[in-house]
Amino acid sequence: MVGEFEYLILSAAEHLGEEAYGAAMREVIETTGGRNCSLGALYITLDRLEAKGLVDTWMSSPTQQRGGRAKRMVKVTGKGARAAREFYEAVIRISRGTAWAKNPRNQLPEDAA
Amino acid sequence: MKGQIGIRSMRWRCIEATAGLLAPLDREVVLGDLAETDSSVWRGLGDVLSLASRRQLALWKGWRPWAASIGLALPASLFLMGWSVAASGAVASVLREPAQLSAWGFSLSRIFLVTCWAWMAGFVVGSVSRSTLWASALACCGPCLHCSSLWPGHGLSFLRLLVFLVPGLFGVWRGRQELRLGLSLAVSLASAGALAFLISGKGGWMYSSSLLWPGWYLAATARRGSA
Repeated sequence: MVGEFEYLILSAAEHLGEEAYGAAMREVIETTGGRNCSLGALYITLDRLEAKGLVDTWMSSPTQQRGGRAKRMVKVTGKGARAAREFYEAVIRISRGTAWAKNPRNQLPEDAA
Repeated sequence: MKGQIGIRSMRWRCIEATAGLLAPLDREVVLGDLAETDSSVWRGLGDVLSLASRRQLALWKGWRPWAASIGLALPASLFLMGWSVAASGAVASVLREPAQLSAWGFSLSRIFLVTCWAWMAGFVVGSVSRSTLWASALACCGPCLHCSSLWPGHGLSFLRLLVFLVPGLFGVWRGRQELRLGLSLAVSLASAGALAFLISGKGGWMYSSSLLWPGWYLAATARRGSA
């Protein structure tokens, strides 16, 4: 099963579709996922996901916006999508009946106390 | 306005210089991402350094950096310093009494062996772990600096200890480029390395045999066939 950060990367890449690459994925993880993400952590994790066959990566042609430098494009493979779904379903299953899953918008018992 | 642009370009140059720590593909991708997002200098430096340090840490999970630095550069520098002193001493005695033919043969064989062994060790260090050469350099420099500080001679005479560095560095340079030798050259070097230990007989059997591996590693990984 994938780890939490691997899941975030797979989800960000899936959201971005054909526009999935390092800087764009970092922005999605930081704005939507609400956590800091260094490019070091991102690319090392991408290498690991690629080695497991969960994503494919390739270099795009250079663009002016990036000072004539190429992007490392990312695409989630079928195996990657299955691994992400497995993680997602496990989180949903294990969360059933928990205070934060029952009333996600309400206060938690500790907050009320 | 002009000053702001100047500061910005200076910050960018600082990030670009730090990105020299990365491999070319990583450098291109990371600098492109940073150029596109217009990150602050500290964030940019953090991104570059985090990737460089993680890449280095990943390398140390394998056997190659350990074999090159602790397994070869460190013990070989100690061994080769002794051989450098012996070879330079033999040359000095020949220069004092040039008429003795046996002294010529002895000093030439010493120089030949120290050159072969240093080149071979450098080649293996360069080819086994190209990305962690800094660690091998540190492992070699430590004993060299220590022994140089204890050297009893005057002036630049401590350079006698470091004669091996010239063929050794040449070997590192070739090892980074070629990775593998031809079979006949590799076997010749391995035999010369074994001969050096048979002649020296210093440092104990364990120490000597642990230093034989570079020659046989080169022979085992040598290019076969005519190509």
